[in-house]
Amino acid sequence: MLKGSDSMNKPRIPAVFEIIRENIIKHNNPLSLKTKETSVWVKDLSLPTEGDILFYTGGEYQLLPYMDSLVKTMEFVDTSSTAFSALMKTRKLVNKLGISSEKIYASLLAKDKERYFSINYKAAYILKKLGYSIFYNKDADLYSGALLFELGFWNDLKEYAVKVVESIKRTGAKRIVCLSPHAGEMFKIVYPKITDFPEIEVKTFIELVWEKRDLLPPVQFEYPVVIHDSCRMARELGIIEEYRDILDAVGIKYVEAYRNKKWTTCCGGPNKMLFAEISKIVASRRVAELEETGAKKALISCPYCLSALENGLGNNNASIELEDIVEFLFRGYEGACKI
Amino acid sequence: MQDLEKELNKYITELNKASKDSNINNAMTRAVKSYRNNVENAMEKYPHTVELANEVRKIKEYSVKNYKQLLEKAIEAIESNKGKGYYAKDREEVLNILKQIIGTGKVIVKGKSMLGEELQLRHGLEEMGNEVWETDLGEFILQLKNEKPMHILSPAIHVPREQVAEIFSGFFKKDIPPDIAAEVGAVREFLREKYFNADVGISGANVVAADTGQVVIIENEGNVRLCTGAPPVHIVVVGIEKLVPTFLDAMKVAEVTWRFANYTAPSYLNVISGPSKTGDIEKVTTYGAHGPKEFHVIFVDNGRSKMMENPDFSQASHCLRCGGCMYECPVFQVTAGYYGKTYLSGIGSIWTSFVDGGVETAAPMLYTCLRCGRCVERCPMGIDVPTMVGILRNQVISE
Repeated sequence: MLKGSDSMNKPRIPAVFEIIRENIIKHNNPLSLKTKETSVWVKDLSLPTEGDILFYTGGEYQLLPYMDSLVKTMEFVDTSSTAFSALMKTRKLVNKLGISSEKIYASLLAKDKERYFSINYKAAYILKKLGYSIFYNKDADLYSGALLFELGFWNDLKEYAVKVVESIKRTGAKRIVCLSPHAGEMFKIVYPKITDFPEIEVKTFIELVWEKRDLLPPVQFEYPVVIHDSCRMARELGIIEEYRDILDAVGIKYVEAYRNKKWTTCCGGPNKMLFAEISKIVASRRVAELEETGAKKALISCPYCLSALENGLGNNNASIELEDIVEFLFRGYEGACKI
Repeated sequence: MQDLEKELNKYITELNKASKDSNINNAMTRAVKSYRNNVENAMEKYPHTVELANEVRKIKEYSVKNYKQLLEKAIEAIESNKGKGYYAKDREEVLNILKQIIGTGKVIVKGKSMLGEELQLRHGLEEMGNEVWETDLGEFILQLKNEKPMHILSPAIHVPREQVAEIFSGFFKKDIPPDIAAEVGAVREFLREKYFNADVGISGANVVAADTGQVVIIENEGNVRLCTGAPPVHIVVVGIEKLVPTFLDAMKVAEVTWRFANYTAPSYLNVISGPSKTGDIEKVTTYGAHGPKEFHVIFVDNGRSKMMENPDFSQASHCLRCGGCMYECPVFQVTAGYYGKTYLSGIGSIWTSFVDGGVETAAPMLYTCLRCGRCVERCPMGIDVPTMVGILRNQVISE
């Protein structure tokens, strides 16, 4: 599964990493999804393209169903085989035409696309309803490069980040709200170290909602829920009590998992690309921890966690449902709007 | 250069296999549960440990910055205690020193030591023509199984009693039932004879006080007492990162280590300063009373100085080897020591990068890490493994 190298002295990196790296650099997205595709969710919302608060998705929720399909595809492909090498060569050819073969493969298997896309819509809807003057600009919604950072392509990230920063600067935004904690981590912690990051306040969706939580409509759900704190949110960004406060505000009872908050258990998502089986077991164990609380629903606030834990559900006939907190809060508005 | 593609595929297959191994699964589930309960109880009983850990962190920071002076001071103190101190830069130098002290054809009893595993000490000594016995029960089982440790503190964590009985019955050539007490009894009987007939005892150390040259070893089984006390020669093989300025500092390090290793108090705390001696006849000091006549301490570098001098990685050398991080690692919980080489899990990938094969060897481990950061929450030294893993991944990519 490691990429071949020209020199025997040069370490070889996994092929899947190389695919992702190239796609981010060339197409601003790990799977070369175009912002035209990743921004389709916005069309019914009539959001302005300029304003104070830039609504930033980075295409991350949109990416996940494709990414999952790619991982599933790779599970069945012997990446050291000639067939896979041929596929990689084909990829390079079709890239010139602006299409990537892994995208085709991924698209063919893509599921839950609508759900993941709609989370962006619902999040923007909620923020609008709370009175935030958000705007969306697909040209400033380039992927944050979080995977370049995670995988160790730091030199590439340094160059790529300039492009992202420029696109954000051009909008003239005063604040930026990130839907994914990974993007939040990049803009709050990583970018200031490697780029000339502008004086823009970076917030996560949860933080903005928390600030105006008293304006949220109540959510009808008769059972207690459990919060799956994401590692990035809880340990990197220190966003923990905000979720609980938000649930209090919408009248929802919650229970705590044995491992939660700063001690939360990882969803297994981060090493999914190389260690798909291990990742799935880690995810199913986390699902089991959430189930042990007796809650019927677990709330999640990270696209990678949502996708990884959904993957973990399959292993143990789980009795718990997983929902993104965006989806859950949106329930409060349902009936009042059309999706 | 090794074939990374082949290595990684082999590694992934092993990890997947381990994750489906019911022995590992049961053992790890029980171990994680009891570790967490024990630590919780220990902390409740001794709440000062948290503050003490902060103090120890400062001691380690100072010691790592000043390791050269501490090394000099420790060797001086050991020599003045009538022991012998050495510095070895790598495995070859360690084995050369050991060869000079031990020679060949000797019987050696050995206590558990991660550094010993890193240097493959047993194999080196056997190649010199010596008979070597691991005396830690877990290590002894693995010696018979010819396998590597699956946890730094509980090396045979993955071997259930039924399998132990099978191995022991074969080795001792008599029927050993799958009863833990009977299994322990059989090893006790076998090793007791070895301790008293061995020519040399070898141990590691948890911490060394530079001012007094005192070596501190934490243990529960009592095997270290015997193999450092019964044979006429005792050799300590210890990493240079284990040095701290004073005896009091060493005690603080020891307490934090055992507490985070889930003990309220270990059964034994060995403090050894030099060869055994007596002045009972005419007040004339004579070396080699009931304990060893010779005491040697080999301080080993083997890549540690590079780690300690690198500002991005010096914190990794603060590791107390309490093993707490591993119990909190979601991947280690399902794979045990298959996630690692000599050193295991996230912190192990950092150590592997410096002392046990380099970044290339560590690469599969570096990418196994979820960078979830729960290990940092558990670590008494607050070692930021995810950040270091990130930097090393960058090195893997950039090389």
